[in-house]
Amino acid sequence: MANIELQQVEKRFGEAYAVRPLDLHIQDGEFIALLGPSGCGKTTTLRMIAGLETISNGRILLNGQDVTRLRPSERDIAMVFQFFALYPHLSVWENIAFPLKSQGERRDSVDKQVRDVAGLLQIDSLLKLRPGALSSGDQQRVALARALVRRPACFLMDEPLGALDADFRETMRSDIKKLMLDQRATTVYVTHDQIEAMAMADRIVVMSQGVVQQIGTPAQVYHDPATLFVARFIGSPGMNLLTGTRGSDNALNLPGGNSYVPPPVWQGRVNHIEGEAVVIGFRPEAVDIQPDGALTGQIFSVDLHGSYTMLVITLGSETNVVQARVNRDDDYQVGQQVRFDVKPDMVRFFDPKTEKAVS
Amino acid sequence: MLRPCQDRIAPHGKTLSQGLQVLNRMAAISARNASPSVPRRRGMSDRQIQWLFIAPTLILLVLMNIFPLFFSLYLSFTEYSVIKPNNPPVWVGLENFRHLLQDKQVWTYFALTGRYVVLSVALQTLVGFGLAMLLREKFKGNGLITTLILIPIMMSPVVIGLFWKLIFNPSYGIFNYLIGFTTPNAGPDWLAKPATALGAVIIVDVWMWSPFVMLLCLSGLKAIPDYLYEAASIDRASSWYQFWRITLPQVAPLLLIAILFRTIEAFKTFDLVMGLTGGGPGDATELAAVNLYRVAFTRFNTGESSALAYIMLVIVMAVSNLYVRSLNRVREG
Amino acid sequence: MAASPIGSNPVIVATRVDKVGTRANVARIIRVVVSLAFALVSLIPISWMVVTAFKARSDIVSAPPKIFFTPTLEGFVNLLTNRVQIPQDQAKAKLAQPNLPLFDRIAAERGQAITGPSQYTGRVLNSLIIAGASTVLSTVLGTLAAYAFSRFNVPGKSDLLFFILSTRMLPPVVVTIPIFLMYRDLGLRDTHLGLILLYTVFNLSFSVWLLKGFIDEIPKEYEEAALVDGYTRLQAFGKVVLPQAITGIAATFVFCLIFAWNEYAFALMLTTERARTAPPSIPTMLGSGGIEWSAIAAGSLGFLIPVVIVTFALRDYLLRGVTFGALKK
Repeated sequence: MANIELQQVEKRFGEAYAVRPLDLHIQDGEFIALLGPSGCGKTTTLRMIAGLETISNGRILLNGQDVTRLRPSERDIAMVFQFFALYPHLSVWENIAFPLKSQGERRDSVDKQVRDVAGLLQIDSLLKLRPGALSSGDQQRVALARALVRRPACFLMDEPLGALDADFRETMRSDIKKLMLDQRATTVYVTHDQIEAMAMADRIVVMSQGVVQQIGTPAQVYHDPATLFVARFIGSPGMNLLTGTRGSDNALNLPGGNSYVPPPVWQGRVNHIEGEAVVIGFRPEAVDIQPDGALTGQIFSVDLHGSYTMLVITLGSETNVVQARVNRDDDYQVGQQVRFDVKPDMVRFFDPKTEKAVS
Repeated sequence: MLRPCQDRIAPHGKTLSQGLQVLNRMAAISARNASPSVPRRRGMSDRQIQWLFIAPTLILLVLMNIFPLFFSLYLSFTEYSVIKPNNPPVWVGLENFRHLLQDKQVWTYFALTGRYVVLSVALQTLVGFGLAMLLREKFKGNGLITTLILIPIMMSPVVIGLFWKLIFNPSYGIFNYLIGFTTPNAGPDWLAKPATALGAVIIVDVWMWSPFVMLLCLSGLKAIPDYLYEAASIDRASSWYQFWRITLPQVAPLLLIAILFRTIEAFKTFDLVMGLTGGGPGDATELAAVNLYRVAFTRFNTGESSALAYIMLVIVMAVSNLYVRSLNRVREG
Repeated sequence: MAASPIGSNPVIVATRVDKVGTRANVARIIRVVVSLAFALVSLIPISWMVVTAFKARSDIVSAPPKIFFTPTLEGFVNLLTNRVQIPQDQAKAKLAQPNLPLFDRIAAERGQAITGPSQYTGRVLNSLIIAGASTVLSTVLGTLAAYAFSRFNVPGKSDLLFFILSTRMLPPVVVTIPIFLMYRDLGLRDTHLGLILLYTVFNLSFSVWLLKGFIDEIPKEYEEAALVDGYTRLQAFGKVVLPQAITGIAATFVFCLIFAWNEYAFALMLTTERARTAPPSIPTMLGSGGIEWSAIAAGSLGFLIPVVIVTFALRDYLLRGVTFGALKK
């Protein structure tokens, strides 16, 4: 297995940056997710690690060895593609055996390895079939098997679950995670689905428009987002973000005639933000509905989610909303006025000019 | 009233509810049509149309193909000459065939044709495929370039033959000039020597048709998605291995069509030879079709030429069968 | 190559690690050289022919071959007119006349006077008539048959289709012998009608296959909608299918036209004087000094131009047509 290091790796097309200088150190056995919307540079980064894209600047090290100039075939990696990339004219057995046979291994040893991996992924009954005859879920398993049979230093996956039906995706998610854990494999996994990243990764690299927004564990990016982008992108729904202007006495004026005083531990740091505006962020579960709460708003909608209920509360106008997560048993009406507090240990602050969080 | 509806619904496999909807609509339309104020429009049934549309084609084909083929078959068993209409055909059984198959000349011509077909098709395929492999990353495909390189195929082969006759001319043709002989008469007289005449025909044929093979292969090559090669290169396959295990199998069906098609056409070559060499020098380029022409229209030995024609027919049909099957396979995707 | 677009079009440059570097650049240079060489090799013979059409006799037979020369319309004159030799002084007198038509002038410069149009013009006319009529017939009949094969379950469909295609595969010589006899007995030898019938049949096989491919691509749902709306099958065919198939029909028409226009073997064997078309006539142009290369070149050029125009117009269908519909490009 291996550790991967990206040192100031960047990718430019002419003048435009696809990936701005990026530093990343991936430990042996870690499962890293590259997460972000389309066009953020995550796939480009993955392909640079694979050698399918040249690097405009920087170095990539695999187990301490500089592989920046090496071809894909010379790097000890395996890749699972979004559209499977299975060889259509070869059987499943031949597809899985391909990386071994390309190195000239003997047939009987190849056969054993193929069958082992096929058994692991429960596709042994499909070995004689062609990819065209398989469901997409099975095809993805074959693609995984082909990557696994190599026992490479690291696995690269480019949105492998993107082409699958929703129900398949969930089972495959846990299957892949378990598989990688068992193999103690170093994995770099690209996805645009933050739920996937949160569920599977040891650490997540959140990217937007070529820039790394934050590198952290799922807990870190969830509870302590480093930028406004991360705050919005992570979690479903994303973090509530309200822009407040400085008022008197350390209070912040919020829409709807509300006034909010940051908790004492944050006071100093909030005062350091230049300018009039400060952004407050808190997750739906940080909303505490209390009859004597500091903030007021009007309930715009009540969405029953079965085990909990989501309220959308407007502060003053419909452009300023707060989503609140409440017990399913509690009774709320649309149009009802509510008062609520924000749990002090769950509130965060951001500088609207730099979009960065106040630490 | 229900039957015509069923005819139209059933073959298209609609669901029950959809079918019922259609039935209802048609019932409404028919009801409207049946009322005395609206004259009922009666169209031809599908079966009638089917036969009406196909009949002229089939009739023509039967008249101009089937009938002549059978007539020809009959003639092949006779001794007859077209220019002697007062001597009717005389039945001689398999005599014509026996004579032909024992005639060394005939075998020579077939062997010559076989050599020509094999060499020409092999060269075209190699050149065409090689070019496709080399050009595939640069080639922009449509438009001007495709037009230019497919022009030779669209021209009359006899005209092309004539033209190359001028080009091969030992005194003032540009062929020798271009391949390096600066003074005239220093280079070989391609069309005058039996040894090189066939080569000249092959050169022209390869010139004409390699672009066709190239375009066919290019289509196949372009259809191979990039990610297959990416996966293969990550799977540590060498370029040769990738070619052998990915490229070739994907292009194979199209390549096969090209080869079969060209083989059939090469076997039929007539126009080109007539323009370029007329079968000569002597009979050095007397391909099967050219020989047949001579027997039928110069020596006017109708019975024997019919027999010869049949032998050629059998060979062509066998290859055509393969061709049509490959064609269907490719068309179905 | 780049998987993630960045707003603007990704630059199409090879970015795979093993596709940059000196080795890859050398390969690229080789490719450029090869494509240029290939283009040259393809075009030189044809351009040579075009050039020859405008050369004077002496330029054609000069050795080494002349690339620079003074163009002349001699070849066209030889091709299109019959001339006789006239004495020098008569020729000089002619040249002195003002407003002498171009062709007469050229003939006079070579000591000849024009007596009338050559056979060739009549042959070209024959070509036009025969090719035109047979193409119209084969396209019309082909469209009908292709529709039937496409939409209906004709008994023995695949066998019939094979049979139709195999017609095209036949060596023309094979079919000509019995047809020669047939025509002689029916009085169709050396007639326009005879050739028209024959060309129609040969083109039918090709047009049915090609058109079936085009019609297969038109979704059946359109006709079904028309049928449900109360149209008869024939009306649906006319109102729905034909308009959508028009480009396919046009392409087929042109391909068939080219075949009929270029056809040599049948014309050679079944016609002599009256209905002879242009292709068999071109090789036999002999002038006073042997083969009239410039006339042949001029004739071939005349043949080439419509082909070039048409090939360019058909470029989107070329590959499809030439492979009997196998490729849809």
